[in-house]
Amino acid sequence: MTDDRLRFLKGTLDVLILKTLSWGPAHGYAISRWIRQSSDDDLKLEEGALYPALRRLEERGWVASEWQTTETGREARVYLLTPAGRTAVRAEIAQWKRYVTAFTRVLDARPSGARV
Amino acid sequence: MTPPRDDDDLPLSRVPPVHEDVRREVAFHLEERTKELVARGMTLEQARAAAGEAFGDAQAVESECREIESRRRATKRRMRRHEELRQDLAMGLRLLRKSPGFTLAAIATLALGIGANTAVFSIVNRVFLQPLEYPDPDRLVALSEQHEKGTSNVPWANFVDLEEQSRTLSAMAAYGSFPATVLGTGTPIRVRAGLISKGFFHVFPVRPSLGRLPAPDEYTRGAGLVAVVSHAFWREQLGGRRSLDDVRLKMDREVIVIGVLPAGFDFPDENQVWVPMGSFEQSLSRTAHNWQVVGRLAPDVTTATAKRDLDAIMARLRSAYQPDFDATGVAVVSLQKTLTQSAETPLYLLLGASAILLLGACTNLASAQLARGTARSGELAVRSALGATRTRLIRQLLTESALLSVLGCLAGLGVAWVLLRSFARFAPAALHLERVQIDGWVLGFAALVAVATTLLFGLLPALRLSSRQSSVVVRDVSRGTADAGRMRAWHVFVVAEVALAVVLLTGSALLIRSFSLVMDTELGFATDRVITVKVNLPEVNYAPESPAIVSFHERVLERLRATPGMLSAGFTNVLPLEGYNPSGSLEIEGRPLAANGRSQGYAVYRVVGGDFFRALRIPLVEGRLLGPADDGTSAPVVVVNELFAREEWPNESAIGKRLRPAGMDASNEPWATVVGVVGNVRAGSMTDAFHETFYFEYRQRPAHRALAVSYVVHSRLDAASVERLVRAAITSVDPQVPLDVQAMNDVVSASVADRRFTMMVLGAFSAVALLLAIVGIYAVVSYVVAQRTREIGVRIALGATPVGVLRMIVVSALAAVGPGLVLGTALAFANAGAIRSLLYGVSPFDLTALGATLLLLTIAAVASSIGPAWKASRVDPVRAIRGE
Repeated sequence: MTDDRLRFLKGTLDVLILKTLSWGPAHGYAISRWIRQSSDDDLKLEEGALYPALRRLEERGWVASEWQTTETGREARVYLLTPAGRTAVRAEIAQWKRYVTAFTRVLDARPSGARV
Repeated sequence: MTPPRDDDDLPLSRVPPVHEDVRREVAFHLEERTKELVARGMTLEQARAAAGEAFGDAQAVESECREIESRRRATKRRMRRHEELRQDLAMGLRLLRKSPGFTLAAIATLALGIGANTAVFSIVNRVFLQPLEYPDPDRLVALSEQHEKGTSNVPWANFVDLEEQSRTLSAMAAYGSFPATVLGTGTPIRVRAGLISKGFFHVFPVRPSLGRLPAPDEYTRGAGLVAVVSHAFWREQLGGRRSLDDVRLKMDREVIVIGVLPAGFDFPDENQVWVPMGSFEQSLSRTAHNWQVVGRLAPDVTTATAKRDLDAIMARLRSAYQPDFDATGVAVVSLQKTLTQSAETPLYLLLGASAILLLGACTNLASAQLARGTARSGELAVRSALGATRTRLIRQLLTESALLSVLGCLAGLGVAWVLLRSFARFAPAALHLERVQIDGWVLGFAALVAVATTLLFGLLPALRLSSRQSSVVVRDVSRGTADAGRMRAWHVFVVAEVALAVVLLTGSALLIRSFSLVMDTELGFATDRVITVKVNLPEVNYAPESPAIVSFHERVLERLRATPGMLSAGFTNVLPLEGYNPSGSLEIEGRPLAANGRSQGYAVYRVVGGDFFRALRIPLVEGRLLGPADDGTSAPVVVVNELFAREEWPNESAIGKRLRPAGMDASNEPWATVVGVVGNVRAGSMTDAFHETFYFEYRQRPAHRALAVSYVVHSRLDAASVERLVRAAITSVDPQVPLDVQAMNDVVSASVADRRFTMMVLGAFSAVALLLAIVGIYAVVSYVVAQRTREIGVRIALGATPVGVLRMIVVSALAAVGPGLVLGTALAFANAGAIRSLLYGVSPFDLTALGATLLLLTIAAVASSIGPAWKASRVDPVRAIRGE
């Protein structure tokens, strides 16, 4: 993949992760599974890309992590939204929706017949 | 479920390494994915492969995560450190505020220690470490002729040959510096003027800030006289004018100013004017030691090589010009060394003393920190149990110490400033202490000292207090028994402080004794109610051999005699205690000449007028004094001092013998008859021996010997009135003569300024060291009493009397101090060599000084332990045993 597409992907991944975590804390695998299932398997991510993204979100302070023991007795690293992250989610989603709307509008636009 | 564990709260040593974390997470993900795929129906291998593929490049992911994680952790660490530092500082400040007494005492102690060291360092920096303000100063050397008995200035003829033939010096110059009266700038002003040879500005390649330097032909005899002036002179006397057109000064004759030297140059003696020695009549005698010589070593030449070269030239000259030659070689010394030599010992002494003082201050503070820290050992133990590492605790304790040091350092800079100002007032003028400033180097030094003191007094207590025996510590405190290890530390502190105090105090005592012995030495003349006036007749108005000089002095003496309140007045060419130059060789009638065909005697040469001897009450031992009858027309007479008479004519009277000066004031002198013998007078400093001296009446010598003289006036009046009347008398004869009035007592005082200064400073340091020792002993004894409260209670319950308890504490204090006294004595003796050169009439091993010091410290120890001992004797045994 070329660089700019990768970057684009990283941005979208962040929003998806944040939205996922807004439903509650989850470990990395759970996040990827949620995204897959919510998109009906349409969004195919490289699951590995999740982890650097999570780390970067942590660095920014929007996400925090802690090691917990699951019901099955295994140790997993669980991520959760910080208060700053919660605020960020709303803003990011709004911006993303605006972007998508604009994008769609351009795709749907047709040149008008009449010349003004 | 185990409680969640946040990596960020763990001590850094316990957080799992980064790559392990990531690997576990990735492994977890792959396992879960595999499980999911298996649940959907794949085989294990298929599931694993599919999971791996869906995941992507695990290695890349891991390395990227590792990178981000490391970065994040580093940032977190940094922020945590800052947070901890802020906490430590806040806590430290709070602690200091809670015990203001300790804080103030600690800051004061540090301020004194750091301030003293900074002040002394500024001085050392200025005098020794900063190079001379001339280009390439380490190539500059001072040259002088060597003789059997020492060194002397260089005769002109020898200088010319040395300059011409030397191959190891790239430039050489002869110079002389003398006071001169300068007219033509408004008020007459006395300056130091220099006569220089043509190599001078090659030795000192300075660039004039205005105008030009003298051209080579302006150095030859008969050329029109030009001069260059110093920057300060140009600024102050010439108003800093931009053009040097037609600026003329009158010295012994008129000179035209052609250039201004750059700021800061005033070699050799704060000179303000330099005149090429063009038209100066040179004596061609090879034994007329008139000139000082300075040179610049050629590149890659050492002083030793230069000396060999010059010695060889000298040897050649010697064989060519025998017997009219008396030099045996040439001394070559680095210029910087000659300028700072006399200041070396006292300054190194000061440096040593201030370092000792700082050590004492640190010792005090270290023990104080330990004591306070012990009170907090409970808190520290709890912290440690909660997970704080030893490093963390040490960092906290060091931060508190550092806080004290910083405050102490700032206060210390203030102390240093005050010290420098007061040093400058009392210090000998030669050190030029008023020029010492607190500059970048000094600030850096102060900071360095602050860091060093933090480590010195903070580290040891920090290490001890944070040690892992926390539970033991808690137990100890509640039980009130003393920890053996800690007691040892206390004892070491006390011993060290006492030893340091002994060294400083003994040194002080020795210097004080020396000083009083010096002040007690016989001067040979009286100083009460005597004032001196330095008079310099401007050569432009008084030609060297003109009768106007005699007329001036006679009229002044007449006016002075007529002034009411005056008892006697006279003058001399050089005052006592201001040096033994000029000295000259002489011949005594009837004695065979020495092997070299020249004279056989050498004595201090003095020219006097008026009632000089009576004014200073120098006793007449035999014969008569010089008087009004001895003038230019009568028979030449001379008066000698007792030493001279005894040395030259041991078994007979000196009266009637004849002698004459040789080599100084032209040859073929008439014989002068000795008419009187007077008491000996100190010519050089008070610690100098007496010198053989001969006195001539000024009217019987060449008149130029009376151009610059010092009047001495003995009167009944107070100092202010005398000064006023004398000034009036002299200015009524000639208002254009600059005068410099000084009481004779001040002249005496100035001659011992060096000694007094060193004594005062060391005395001040010792006083502080004593204070520190007292405070230290008090602190230690208090602490020990607090620790042994229970034991004391038991003793009292078993029948000990309060007096008995008191005695026990005081005796134990003395026992602690004892080793310090012994150690201090040993150190003082070991130091004897260093201090010997500063003493006079006292041995460094003087037992009186030592005894006084030891006694003083013993009394101090008793005095400072009385307080806590008294408290100990009033201990309520019941409460003590119960451990309250």
